[in-house]
Amino acid sequence: MRKFSGAEKQTISSFASGLSAAILLIVLISLVLFIMLKGSVYFWPSQVFKVITYDTPNSEVSAFVPSSVNIDEFNQALSNKLNAQFSNSTLPMPLMVVEQVDAVYQISLYSGAIQYGTFQQINTPNSERYQLAELSDVVADVAIFQNQLHDIQTNYLTVLHRKIALLNQSGVGEEAPARLKELEQFTYWQQKAEALRQKLTSYHLIFIDASGQPFDVLVKDIHHLFQPNVMSLFDKFSYSGNKIIEFVSESPKQASTSGGVFPALFGTVLMVLLMAVIVAPFGAMAAIYLHEYAPNNMTTSVIRICVSNMAGVPSVVYGVFGLGFFVYTLGGSIDSLLFSDALPSPTFGTPGLFWAALTMALLTLPVVIVSTEEGLRRVPEGLRAGSYALGATKAETIWKTVLPVASPGIMTGVILAIARAAGEVAPLILVGAVKFAPSLPVDGEFPFLHLERQFMHLGVFIYDGAFHNQTNTQGSSMMFASCMLLLIIVFILNLFAIIVRNKLRDRYVRI
Amino acid sequence: MLKLFETETLSLDKLTDEQTAIKVNDFSVWLNNSLVLNNINMRIPKNKITAMIGQSGCGKSTLLSSFNRMNELNQKYAFSGEVELDGRDIYNKKENVAKLRTKVGMVFQRPNPFPMSIYENVCFGLRIQGKTERRMLDDIVETSLRNAALWDEVKGRLFDSALLLSGGQQQRLVIARALALKPEILLLDEPTSALDPLTTLHIEELINQLKKTTTVVIVTHNMQQAARVSDYSVFLHQGELIEYSDSDSLFTMPAKKQTEDYITGRYG
Repeated sequence: MRKFSGAEKQTISSFASGLSAAILLIVLISLVLFIMLKGSVYFWPSQVFKVITYDTPNSEVSAFVPSSVNIDEFNQALSNKLNAQFSNSTLPMPLMVVEQVDAVYQISLYSGAIQYGTFQQINTPNSERYQLAELSDVVADVAIFQNQLHDIQTNYLTVLHRKIALLNQSGVGEEAPARLKELEQFTYWQQKAEALRQKLTSYHLIFIDASGQPFDVLVKDIHHLFQPNVMSLFDKFSYSGNKIIEFVSESPKQASTSGGVFPALFGTVLMVLLMAVIVAPFGAMAAIYLHEYAPNNMTTSVIRICVSNMAGVPSVVYGVFGLGFFVYTLGGSIDSLLFSDALPSPTFGTPGLFWAALTMALLTLPVVIVSTEEGLRRVPEGLRAGSYALGATKAETIWKTVLPVASPGIMTGVILAIARAAGEVAPLILVGAVKFAPSLPVDGEFPFLHLERQFMHLGVFIYDGAFHNQTNTQGSSMMFASCMLLLIIVFILNLFAIIVRNKLRDRYVRI
Repeated sequence: MLKLFETETLSLDKLTDEQTAIKVNDFSVWLNNSLVLNNINMRIPKNKITAMIGQSGCGKSTLLSSFNRMNELNQKYAFSGEVELDGRDIYNKKENVAKLRTKVGMVFQRPNPFPMSIYENVCFGLRIQGKTERRMLDDIVETSLRNAALWDEVKGRLFDSALLLSGGQQQRLVIARALALKPEILLLDEPTSALDPLTTLHIEELINQLKKTTTVVIVTHNMQQAARVSDYSVFLHQGELIEYSDSDSLFTMPAKKQTEDYITGRYG
């Protein structure tokens, strides 16, 4: 075998290491790009094509199908799919035609559902109109009625209902005149509300679907109405902008296939911050003990090894521990001690935000301890000596001189902890994160921060999204969009922590 | 006049307790189970400058840090004998070590300012003692910095980070920090070995100034420095006290052969 010369070895070594770094970079960039591309589909208005399939010569099935690609690619993809389906079957391959229909409307409803159709007419109680330009007048009318309805509901019906409930409580008889009067009022307003509701349902639009059948859409249900195939670039951008705002500010709709992810975003950030608040002081104190106070002997080394190993324990184990110990044991005890009147329905004895934050704090504790100790190790001996020589005790030395200099190390630990906690799914499912939470953990009701509530988490949301029907492009692209958001959130949280760390470093470690 | 003249050249053998700052009796130290100082007996005179010279590893730094118990921070430290300060053994069990160190200040080889402002560096010891009155702190900071010959250079930027100062300035700041506590004794462990000649000169002048109020003990590798600065000199060799006398006689006519060999440069 040929021997390499010294210069060749140099070249090979630099080439191999450079190659590895390049591959790593490519993988990273392509991961981010892939998520970005897939995710941005959710925000960009998709084209709508009419797909006509002739099963047998006489029967045809038509549908409007949204797609993010142009007509040629869409056609190609569909025929590939058909070929694959029918290549091994004895059935004759159906004929399929894809058409571009510019007139088609995308009807996004408040419920999150999306329908496609061509416009036919607007029906109001008094008239039938055939120009969509007149829709804004109709919408204005509908808005007036809806306001009236809302007014009746909040100002009259709710108030009356409460009054009647009070009468019930104080045991006023069935036939008492006071009750009868209230009831009469109540029925009056109820009828009025019902009439308004009836009126609202008579304002509707008629569209024609792909197979030529008309269908009704109530005006009050329509959130957004536009023609995706004839949108200008500007329209597309403004649509995307609105969609992004909706995505980060609204709740999910249609079983998490459309709408926004605000509760998940909020839950993730809140949980991570709560965790950081718990883990940073706790981890720092433990590291200080290990590094400054513990004698340098076997026991300390064993503890150190255990801490490092804790970082490698599968996260689901922490989840199970959190469920078994925090939720059932601790939470159960808290319930029986403080909330015994609410039992058997649990208050803290059920998965919730606090237990999730605590479990994640436990999970990230080793990371914080290890990097804090690393920071403490980097404090120059001269600083400690200087502090002792000025009459400081050990505690004063640690708090006043050592800890500030080691603080960037603590921040490094917190950064790693945040990144880990924001992306964790398995333990969170066990201790408090849910697919859909009816209310946010923070609201205007005392005590404002509801630590016992279940919460939504982006990681869990993505995990859930992965089980959705993948042929439904809307749903799966929402998963990718959430993924993108999670990346951005982790990036922002890390950036924030890194800025804090660098500030500390500038302040304390510039020697 | 005669009396004054006598105190100037007071003989080390006949030091009274009033004239003694530190009295070392039969003091031995073991670090990691090896003998570093062997049965040292000496008296360090008050308000004088005493230099300790000797090869690396001869135990002079260990002896110096025994005077404010800084050597205890090493693990595996053992000792026997006594170090007396104001007539009491500082190694007694009830000694408040933190308080002792405010009386016996120490400056190290490498400047070690804290990562705080210049002002806070000087205040550090005072704040530890719970002194927070702003006007008093201001006064002490100014006097200490003046005494350390640093005031004129930093008076405009007291609240800048101390880490921005040059090496020589940092070392003077560290001295000012020690002076702020008004120590009776100041221990200097090779304070100029990391500094350039001009800055060294600054610090030597400063040490000379300090003599008026403070007893100074300085460890140095620089024979010229020891001869220039100190009133008395002690030569240590392999943990033994070889010779201790006033600097003039030690450097001009050493009594022991080993001392002569060392100061004329015949040892390593």
